[in-house]
Amino acid sequence: MISVLVVIIAGCSNDESLSISDEEIQNQSFEEIAESAQGETVRMYMWGGDEGINQYIDEWVKPKLQETYDVTLERIPLDTNEIIQKLETEKRAGQEDGTIDIIWMNGENFKRAKEGELLFGPFVDQIPNVEDYYDTESLDFQYDFGKATEGFEAPFGKVQFVFHYDSSKIEEPPATLDELMEWIKQNPGKFTYPDPRDFTGNTFLRHVLYGKASSVEKILEEPFSEELAAEESANVWTYLNDIAPDLWREGQAYPSTLSELDRLYSQGEVWMTMGYNEARGEVLVEDGIFPDTTESFILEDTGSIGNTHFLSIPYNSPNKEAALVAIQLMLSPEAQLIKLKPTYWGENTPIDIDKLDQTKRQDFDSIDRGDTVLEQEHLMETFIPEIDATYVPWLKEKWIDEVASEQ
Amino acid sequence: MKWHLSNRSFLLLIPALLFLLMVTYSLILAFVESVRGPNGWTLDFYVSLFQERRLYSSFIYSLSITFFSVILSVLIGWGIVRSCHAMIENSIGKWMIWIPMLFPHFVWGYFVLLVLGQSGVLSSALFQSGWIESRDQFPIFVQDKRGLGIIITYLWKEIPFVILMLLPVYVQLPKQYGEVIGVLGGGKRHIFGTIEWPWVKPVLVEILLILTAFIFTAYEVPALLGVTYPQMASVLAYDWFYGSSLEERSYAFALLFIIAAIMTLASLISFMLLNRQRWLLSKSQHSR
Amino acid sequence: MKKFLFYSLTILFFLGPAVLLLFKSVTPVWKWGEPFHFNWTSRGWESFFMDPRIVQALSLSLMIALVVTFINLWIAIPAGKALSHTNFKGKSMIETFLVLPLFIPVLAAALGLHVTMIRLGIANHWFGVVIVHLVPTVPYSIKVMKAGYDRLGSGMLEQAKMLGARPFHVFRTIELPMLMPSVRSVVFLIVTISMSQYVLTAVIGGGNVITLPIIYYPFLQSVDDTVMAAFSIAFAVLPVVAVLIVELVSKWLRTNMSFRSRRSS
Repeated sequence: MISVLVVIIAGCSNDESLSISDEEIQNQSFEEIAESAQGETVRMYMWGGDEGINQYIDEWVKPKLQETYDVTLERIPLDTNEIIQKLETEKRAGQEDGTIDIIWMNGENFKRAKEGELLFGPFVDQIPNVEDYYDTESLDFQYDFGKATEGFEAPFGKVQFVFHYDSSKIEEPPATLDELMEWIKQNPGKFTYPDPRDFTGNTFLRHVLYGKASSVEKILEEPFSEELAAEESANVWTYLNDIAPDLWREGQAYPSTLSELDRLYSQGEVWMTMGYNEARGEVLVEDGIFPDTTESFILEDTGSIGNTHFLSIPYNSPNKEAALVAIQLMLSPEAQLIKLKPTYWGENTPIDIDKLDQTKRQDFDSIDRGDTVLEQEHLMETFIPEIDATYVPWLKEKWIDEVASEQ
Repeated sequence: MKWHLSNRSFLLLIPALLFLLMVTYSLILAFVESVRGPNGWTLDFYVSLFQERRLYSSFIYSLSITFFSVILSVLIGWGIVRSCHAMIENSIGKWMIWIPMLFPHFVWGYFVLLVLGQSGVLSSALFQSGWIESRDQFPIFVQDKRGLGIIITYLWKEIPFVILMLLPVYVQLPKQYGEVIGVLGGGKRHIFGTIEWPWVKPVLVEILLILTAFIFTAYEVPALLGVTYPQMASVLAYDWFYGSSLEERSYAFALLFIIAAIMTLASLISFMLLNRQRWLLSKSQHSR
Repeated sequence: MKKFLFYSLTILFFLGPAVLLLFKSVTPVWKWGEPFHFNWTSRGWESFFMDPRIVQALSLSLMIALVVTFINLWIAIPAGKALSHTNFKGKSMIETFLVLPLFIPVLAAALGLHVTMIRLGIANHWFGVVIVHLVPTVPYSIKVMKAGYDRLGSGMLEQAKMLGARPFHVFRTIELPMLMPSVRSVVFLIVTISMSQYVLTAVIGGGNVITLPIIYYPFLQSVDDTVMAAFSIAFAVLPVVAVLIVELVSKWLRTNMSFRSRRSS
């Protein structure tokens, strides 16, 4: 048994590839990178709980990447926080030869990864498609939840937060936070939001914060501080405690995840649900999980928080060249167009449509995203960016003290 | 005790000791995480944990749920084995009892939600047959303050485990002794006290400890079926572990180690008590 | 009467859920209050077989589980014997320590194990996954094997030895056949545990080792009951397959073993 172990250990240490240093890669042109990436394999780690997304990667990106650059893509399903944990441990143990080439993430995870120096970069300006088709000046790309990206993340997709409701039960959805409260009081038990430990539940809280803060600009521009947060959020807790008695289960229990809320909605136990990605209702209606009469709405006074999600390369990626090439492909207008179609994913693109030529622009404009998705114009008008990522855990902790433990 | 005897035992135990070595080493590494602050070694994480009031309510909640789940599953499982072991052992029933063991706890929790939720199968069926008029009339079993849903899930999963752990003991219980006692005029209680109990007790204590440790530290089921507040300590640790800052991770480790320490202490004490008795027992057996 | 009660209860509580899940995996989402109707859908199973790596993941999971079981037996049979049939100083302490890994929260152990595996050079390798799967399994097998030896008693083995049988011979002809019920329990328990490890496999395997839980765990957070039920069923069937394999192998071994007829039972 011991000898088996020894053989395996020996086998493992043998296949260290002779890779060039990070600095050398950063000084190369994209053509040089693409050439050395030929025949390599790139491993993309991403959350794997959505069939549409998985299929998009497996059935479109993978063959396309093989065909265009002769690079093999492997999709590895793993929870994002698991990925970050893994990298942190590897960093501590000094493992320089890792297994992950691309991570798909944003927000809190990026903050943790960047602060822990787990990422390779800056690399974004080496990707030609970013220069060609993306508005590099945009705050959406320069900041990820208030954290400067500094070229360590390339924008992959863009989503906005919307509410879904059953139009057979609700004629006119509420348009402001106060109308929502009124509606909740008139229909006790028919609304709830996920526990703010869940990402979606936390985003709902941030919407209430936007609606109840003295000024949105202030919380967006000033850096996070306990005092500011406490001051601006005072009305948030009043609001949430006011609606709590008329929520589902009288606010005694909150769905622990978004899928729990979705399940309540699909069973008609509550009449509204919510979530990031304005188009996520489409496939759920199609599969008969959400009622056919599902439509979406946005609260005008809070606006709809939108965020960008990104692709990054870990510090110990064994195949950084191949990773760069894969990112180049996934950011191409072609790849983004397929991603926008409801066939696989249906998610919005961070591409700057104005930078595209006429035909490409038409392709993007002519896509029918489905009946549950709001008009692009309406989405654009109500769009507001994310606040500092520090608010996320802060709201979560505070919510337990102010709301959950009060019931 | 002869030297060569213990030498031979040692040889037999080498693989197990290697295993133990690996676990201990890993635990030490993990423990280091909980005492390593930004500026060197620190016990701050432990200190501030004890100042967290939320933690106390979590611990009390965890303890009560663990207590009820464990006691009920052991009592019910034991009862079933005592009364039906002959039947279970030689039948297809044994295979059916395995079934819940095959599913992960998470799936079983989801199943309980599916069946006993207010929008669940049972509620829907009662509505169809006219017993209830709306789902609000269906009692709240899951996501309730008392943790009923969590306890039901654990009972459902652990009773089969108890049965399967106890079954071999009962099947191989020396029945002849019982007959001897019967012939000599001893009563049922006597049989239980002298034959059944000494055989069953060590296994029972083990089951109790294993279940307690498992239920106290598992987070999947309470995360799915619990209420938002209070929360089981394990769920709290899990949230911290995957939280957004490194500091939270250190808190998670501190909490996990407190839990581990409590469990280790509890098991060490019970085993010590048990072993003393077993030692006395074996001594009396030798003199037989 | 007792028999009837026992069977109806086991069918209701133990077989029932499996049947219900199976049924759910081939029907669309049930809505509350709607009468039951029989629409079939293959969506659940389609998504299960959609992932191109499912077959590979299945076989890898099985292989890991079987190797874990094998190492478990290798550790637990001698340890069980030592703990049951011999007496030495500190025995009860060792026995206690061998159960302790069960009492440690998996999350706490995972990090330490990861660092250990990196140092050993078997992180991100299936063998590293095998090694960490030992942590939640070995204590159980030692328990079960010790209980097995306890019941076996040392009398018969000593008798055989006195008659001049060699230790290995005694092991093969007396111990192993008599321990078979315990071995069977170990196989079943260990395969089940090993196959449901998500956190440890994810951390140590690090995505290089794609076992079934790695693919299917994310889907358990799906709102699509049909898909979820299909994955749950597939998952539960696996340990059964693994146990069947072990049963077949051991049957084959036993029929090909000499001295079988002399086995006392």
